[in-house]
Amino acid sequence: MSGEEKFDVIVVGGGPAGIAAGYFLAKKGFKVVVLEKGEDIGTKNMFGGRIYSHVFDKYFPGWREEAPIERWVRREKFTILCKDEAISIDLSRVGEIGPYDSFTTFLSKFLKWMAQYAESTGALILPGVKVDRILFKDGFAVGVEAEGDRLESDYVIVAEGVNTLLLESMGIKRKPMPSEVAVGVKEVIKLGRDVVNGRFGLSDGEGIAEFLIGYPLNEFLGGGFLYTMNEYVTIGAVVKIEHIYGAASQIMDIAEYLRMHKYVWKLLRDGTMVEYSAHMVGESPGSLYLDKPYGNGYLVVGDAAGTLVNTGFTIRGVDYAVESSRLASQVIEESHSIGDKSKAILGKYKSLLDKSVVGRSVRKFRNVSKILSHRRLHKEYVDFACDVVGDIYSTAEESPTLNEAIKRGKKGRISYIDLMIDLIRVWRSL
Amino acid sequence: MSMLSVEKRLSLVRFNIHEEPHIIVDTSKCRECKYQVCVKACPAGLFTIDDNGKLHFNYEGCFECGTCRVVCPEKAIKWNYPPAGFGVSLNFG
Repeated sequence: MSGEEKFDVIVVGGGPAGIAAGYFLAKKGFKVVVLEKGEDIGTKNMFGGRIYSHVFDKYFPGWREEAPIERWVRREKFTILCKDEAISIDLSRVGEIGPYDSFTTFLSKFLKWMAQYAESTGALILPGVKVDRILFKDGFAVGVEAEGDRLESDYVIVAEGVNTLLLESMGIKRKPMPSEVAVGVKEVIKLGRDVVNGRFGLSDGEGIAEFLIGYPLNEFLGGGFLYTMNEYVTIGAVVKIEHIYGAASQIMDIAEYLRMHKYVWKLLRDGTMVEYSAHMVGESPGSLYLDKPYGNGYLVVGDAAGTLVNTGFTIRGVDYAVESSRLASQVIEESHSIGDKSKAILGKYKSLLDKSVVGRSVRKFRNVSKILSHRRLHKEYVDFACDVVGDIYSTAEESPTLNEAIKRGKKGRISYIDLMIDLIRVWRSL
Repeated sequence: MSMLSVEKRLSLVRFNIHEEPHIIVDTSKCRECKYQVCVKACPAGLFTIDDNGKLHFNYEGCFECGTCRVVCPEKAIKWNYPPAGFGVSLNFG
């Protein structure tokens, strides 16, 4: 890489936001390069397994025919894991037509496809380049420094992901607190397509997305996930960093403890593990969402800007990251056309983002993570639900009434006042 | 499939190890640390405590998740990504 070539835009980071930024800008005719530190695109990226398709339907013509979609999510499941039982809410979309609005995939593979798609519109995607510094001149971002090489551009887009080393070194953002981020671990288990279909009650191309709480995740007040891929299942857990301090177990064991729960074990029993991985997840849309994801000559997109939203039942990561990059590309186009790349002009990105589905969702769901990390939800309420449901379906000679079951389940565990307070709290924030 | 040790699970992952560690732990700060929570927090189990109570860190097998950077209460961890092309390389991320 020589310092002679100048780009209109340099994008730092080749994840969903970065590649999307490259795509949208190249489509508008900009000379754009996406720099990714991994040896290949997708090698440093990890997620649970699901993407919502609206943003691709709108802006990536032909993507459904080309993209590496594993399965369309046709079943949603929420499961409470008791010690020896599991209680599930199971939504099956059995209608003949749609909605086919979300799908499972491997982010590593999906990004490789996104990169090809972006390249075909003229974006230059360069893996194996690690940016150490954003270069500034007279208060404006003018390029980047990557392992000694300088590369110049009119604009810089920071898409470095959830670990915001560059933004922190620029003084734009502080290091996240243990209450703001979580660590996610994932295991990929190969079962074969027919076994996945049979065991999860699916047809070819149809998938399930499952969230789990309870045993053994509750030691960390964490949540679990399970996604069916075509031939594989991904299983894993997400634990807020602040909840590690008080736990007795180690995070490295949590995915295995989950896999060993009889409910999960029965589903995956004869599978073969092909990969294990870990990644950070933003857990606090309220505080991670940047006040100023812009400055003179630069914009911040995706996880780095705090665009990921946990709704309590689903996680919107990739699609919101892509949407933020679309808005960023729009603002760069406007800024470029009037020849002013000052923060006064680029600040329009923030107002567009606030008004978009991303900003609206960040505001709507800003308190969800607090509710989800409430101790009682993972401990007392899990035991309560397990006891009550176990009691209702009691196989004993004499069945209890629902009233008896609730009284028995609640006893010595949850007071009426706690119950009322928690209900109001949940009602307000979900 | 029975429970797999973290070593066994790490053996499934490709790590392109650079000769220089990308994370430096100032273990002199760890002696005073009453939490030593990095040991519990690292998803790859790369922080260990020996019989003398001394903390050890091995950067090989690091997922570059950043958990130790956030969790360490003693600011003992100097954290960076490995140089370009090095470190963890996932197929099913």
